Amino acid sequence: MLGYLTKIWTISERLLKESKVDMVIGFRKGTVPMMNEPCVVKSPENVKELVWDSNCGINLANYLTDRKEKIAVIAKGCDSRNIVTHIIENKIKRDQLFVIGVPCKGMIDRHKISSMFEKEIIEVIEEENKIIVRGNDCEKIFKKAEVLQENCAICIHRNPVIYDELVAEPVKEQTDIDRYKDVRRIEEMQVEEKNNFFDETLSACIRCYACRNACPLCYCPTCFVDESRPQWLGKSIDPVDIKTFHLLRAFHCAGRCTDCGACQRACPMGINVRIFTKKLEKDCFELYGWEAGMSLDERPPLDTYRPDDPEDFIK
Amino acid sequence: MKIIRIDKKNWAGGLEKLKGSYRLFGPVKDNEFHNFKRLDKDELPDFNYFNTRLSPKSIIYPQSEIMLEYELDENKENHHVMKESKKDYSQRVVIGIRPCDASAFLLVKRNFDTPEYKDPYWIRSYEATTFVGLACNNPQATCFCTSAGCGPFYEDGLDVLLVDAGDHFLAKIISSKGENLLEAAGWDTETDADEQIETMKQEAEARITSFVTTNKLKDKKIIDLFDAPFWEEVAFACINCGTCTYVCPTCWCFDIQDEAYGLCGIRMRNWDSCMFPLFTLHGSGHNPRSTNMQRVRQRFMHKLKYYVDKYNDGIQCVGCGRCIRLCPVNIDIRKICNMMNSYEVQVTSD
Amino acid sequence: MSDWEPKIVAFLCNWCSYEAADLAGISRLQYPPNIRVIRIPCTGRMSPKFILAAFGKGADGVWVSGCHPGDCHYIVGNYYARRKFSLFKDLIEYMGIEPGRLHFSWISAAEGTRFAEVAIKVIKTVKDLGPSKYFIKKINDRVA
Repeated sequence: MLGYLTKIWTISERLLKESKVDMVIGFRKGTVPMMNEPCVVKSPENVKELVWDSNCGINLANYLTDRKEKIAVIAKGCDSRNIVTHIIENKIKRDQLFVIGVPCKGMIDRHKISSMFEKEIIEVIEEENKIIVRGNDCEKIFKKAEVLQENCAICIHRNPVIYDELVAEPVKEQTDIDRYKDVRRIEEMQVEEKNNFFDETLSACIRCYACRNACPLCYCPTCFVDESRPQWLGKSIDPVDIKTFHLLRAFHCAGRCTDCGACQRACPMGINVRIFTKKLEKDCFELYGWEAGMSLDERPPLDTYRPDDPEDFIK
Repeated sequence: MKIIRIDKKNWAGGLEKLKGSYRLFGPVKDNEFHNFKRLDKDELPDFNYFNTRLSPKSIIYPQSEIMLEYELDENKENHHVMKESKKDYSQRVVIGIRPCDASAFLLVKRNFDTPEYKDPYWIRSYEATTFVGLACNNPQATCFCTSAGCGPFYEDGLDVLLVDAGDHFLAKIISSKGENLLEAAGWDTETDADEQIETMKQEAEARITSFVTTNKLKDKKIIDLFDAPFWEEVAFACINCGTCTYVCPTCWCFDIQDEAYGLCGIRMRNWDSCMFPLFTLHGSGHNPRSTNMQRVRQRFMHKLKYYVDKYNDGIQCVGCGRCIRLCPVNIDIRKICNMMNSYEVQVTSD
Repeated sequence: MSDWEPKIVAFLCNWCSYEAADLAGISRLQYPPNIRVIRIPCTGRMSPKFILAAFGKGADGVWVSGCHPGDCHYIVGNYYARRKFSLFKDLIEYMGIEPGRLHFSWISAAEGTRFAEVAIKVIKTVKDLGPSKYFIKKINDRVA
């Protein structure tokens, strides 16, 4: 994956020089370990600002919403699926975009690495399949597979589904993955146990809405939490309000979520917020055979119906 | 100033003794990070930390705080009266607060305790609290306190400065509140360690590798900075979540909400964030800060320019580095501060 | 608790179930008085916020009823609604509401008898579960 960078530079430079696009949206090197900052490059001289490594977990489709320019965007598998969703939902037009596809081998989990490293992390260096974490006079080497973000570890669509140019040959897709083990574990719980589990999961939530805002799907002009006439949700750290927020946030992503993991990566408190969206992803797959963002020609499940949809739960 | 030596074997005993007359708050590791929390009986603060994930501001200024309450049930006393809710303002002590976080309360005090307006909730909480700081022997790479008006051994805002010296703590008494506290705990071995603390302080300060320059902010014109061309670029990555404002020890904005529950109800205040569109939304539907860029600019202009101009005492930031570490998209206040500080308006000929 | 009676919010489609409730009344059909009816223009108008607000304010049960598939006044409103309900019911039960608190049904304007029968069934199920406890908003100790 590290070798992708020169190709990204060449493509970006060419597109900008030939004025095929007005800007390239990608990442630049962050100021702290394991962080890159989404950025925009507008002139060919600056393409070397762009970086690519395993810290590009932010979903760049989030930066395309309602833009009018011609844009080249660097897209991993999940990003590309969200770009598809964006196109379907008229948040951007296909012909405005030049998708620089990146066959992805997964992003690393900064929360996980921090918790596995007792000292302060000063530097994280990445070599092929190896992550070297350095603190003041100490070092630890992890296999990349051990420290992948959880959504990357169970990803089955690593290659972009739409692209105008790929920066490398497609990578092999993972097969025989059980994507919903954690969801089933909760489904099997008793009512009381479920409530305890979610109360515990959400007890750290500070309602900063980083999960919502990092998500490319959350672009409503007024989010339900900001509605004040009527006000559906209290603003305090009341556990029911917090639980309701997470439930509705997930529900708004139903049939649209690609499990890109941006929400979880963004959470400053390390809450497993994917546990909500994954349940809906599982349901959409089981009930409607749907995987989000795989095709430009199919309508998402909540925007269509079949006369014979399952309705056992209806009296 | 008096310095008391506290042997670590006497530490737990002293704290237990304090719990008789004070409510104790200290850093405790919960899941993967530390946060301040009320210490129960036999519970000790865990000092094996750089800093807490969230700032301790919530001890004085909770994220959600009830101000008034009412009751409409006619069988209850004082029904139909909006009254102040009963709260515990008994003595308490925050043990192990980092000097930067304690000095942040002094910045926040400028907002809650002014000659014209006094916020009763904040002031009562603040005054009931004794701050026992823990000096930072090992600051983090994201700490820039020394150039943000405080430092790893900074004393303003504290009542006692605790220095970890291996098998014992050195407790430097800074105020009478602090002196009373050490007395109550039964720690009274006076020692002469001024020099030792001074050396440790210099060593710690030398370990700080990250800085901001703020010297020119004051002289810039507000309008020049406001119209500076870099805001679009700075704001590009920002997703407008409230993480930076909620983890910040110096952010003080709140929103007042009424909630009714059947026959009773409360008026409370909750932290609010200038990053949210709702923060400035008018009743008319107009929003003076409707774009992402405007909100990002507001946050940095407030901390690094408006505050500087208004109080003439440096920036509204203590350099704890939390917003840098926790920003989901790596927006770095150090970079922006330096950008603002070095910004010169381009004079064009036309 | 022996005299406890559940409060159930019923969201009924204007074109069918609401009429059915009317018919049940005109026909003097008996069912317990535990439901509070809110008329909606179509089940397609149902928002999960309505259901959560009802539970949040202390409803012991919520019942949503509309036209049979194919009979929607707006042709397809209930088809779309069906998918939303399916996912929503699963999600809220996944998050800890007991199965049996949230009900859906299709009842046409002509089915007054069926309306009374389903009402009896819904009320009984909710009553058996006892008072709601998981999604109710109360003043709580985290708000200092």
